Amino acid sequence: MKRVLVVAGALLLSVGAVMAQQDVVKKDQDVMKATGRALGGVLSPMFKGEKPYDQAAVDGAIKTLEDTAKNLPTMFPASTKGLKADGDYSASPKIWEDKAGFDAKIADFAKAVSDAKAKIKDADTLKANFPGIGKACGGCHETYRVKNS
Amino acid sequence: MLKRLFLLAVLAAVAGLGIFWWLTIPAVVAASSLPAYTPNLANGLTAFNAGGCSSCHAVPNQPDRLKLGGGLPIPSPFGTFNVPNISPDPSDGIGRWSEADFVTAVIKGTSPSGFHYFPAFPYASYEHAKVEDIRDLFAYLKTLAPVAGKTRDHDVPFPFNIRRNVGVWKFLFTDGKPFTPDTSKSAQWNRGAYLVNSLGHCAECHSPRNFLGGIIDAQRFAGGPNPEGEGWVPNITQKRMSDWSAKDFAYFLESGMTPEGDTAGGSMARVIRNTSQLSPEDRTAMAEYLKSLPPVEGPPRPKKPEKS
Repeated sequence: MKRVLVVAGALLLSVGAVMAQQDVVKKDQDVMKATGRALGGVLSPMFKGEKPYDQAAVDGAIKTLEDTAKNLPTMFPASTKGLKADGDYSASPKIWEDKAGFDAKIADFAKAVSDAKAKIKDADTLKANFPGIGKACGGCHETYRVKNS
Repeated sequence: MLKRLFLLAVLAAVAGLGIFWWLTIPAVVAASSLPAYTPNLANGLTAFNAGGCSSCHAVPNQPDRLKLGGGLPIPSPFGTFNVPNISPDPSDGIGRWSEADFVTAVIKGTSPSGFHYFPAFPYASYEHAKVEDIRDLFAYLKTLAPVAGKTRDHDVPFPFNIRRNVGVWKFLFTDGKPFTPDTSKSAQWNRGAYLVNSLGHCAECHSPRNFLGGIIDAQRFAGGPNPEGEGWVPNITQKRMSDWSAKDFAYFLESGMTPEGDTAGGSMARVIRNTSQLSPEDRTAMAEYLKSLPPVEGPPRPKKPEKS
């Protein structure tokens, strides 16, 4: 009986651990989605000239990007390797196989964000400094994100 | 009687072989058919960026997109293609090629030594390009730095490794016709249609293919399984893209960013690195054409595994 309890307990624990890892994946997606909203909902429309320049909105969006940059180094613990996310994309195993390459990419992003924060003051400086952020996003997604099929 | 039958069979086989041989003769553009011409280097650069040459031919895992030493392996259901060196290196690249060799390679898919290239090289799209654009492109490529190093041979198993068979593929899936403008449409739309369908070769990835590796015409641009392996290439007709404005398409080609704030990944990231170098006018033209693609249902996407 005791043995059964121990085995059942261990099983429950490991199920719990896997669930917790899935929660990490879910949280990663939330961070990425918030980042996308800051870019697609706020900065892109101003860059394209569809919305007037709005400093308060820019500050808010950049704050979101800074949070993302801060989170990125800890968002992909080795325990989440190989887990598939719901939705269109998952993290590529290359994140863990080429950790140095991945770290360089997320450093690029952090730099693009801090540059943007320092330099974006009006519509013209937004035009000049916004594309660097998109480049950093794409530079990492090219290798370290995979499409779910 | 038996002897006569046998003779007939031999005759039929010889005739069949003859037809096969005749049908699969690699086409060439003769140097004498190219009129005197002064190439335009600026337009050559445009052709280079629109054609996405560096997406495949740049040396992988290094930042310089003008280092065209090749070497990228492209997996496919028919084997793995290793992208060749197209830098101006005289022994490993195209440094000794004549202009006619180059035009023949790009538009006819035939090598200088007279064999068929595999259609992983998208000549089924490039064949619609203007010869002048290809001549300008050749002049531009000649200005780049030579990169030494031959790349590995293709790793393509039998029967696909019989080059002559590619002649049949060409017979089935290429028409050898230059792009013809649609006079009922604007000049901008026609420029976009030209760039997308010839140099841009968008349909090469964004269309489903049949078992012979030919594009299924009725589902052109409607997406399908990624020929290079994992994932799904999206449908870019209005079936899926109706909430993108023409401006959204142009902005995506410039920045890689979707209206939702997502960015292009995978091989599309390499494509964006080229389209971002085009002039805004050319991107706007491509956008206008893409926005005009009628909605087409693509092949069914496999169901996502049920959540456990």
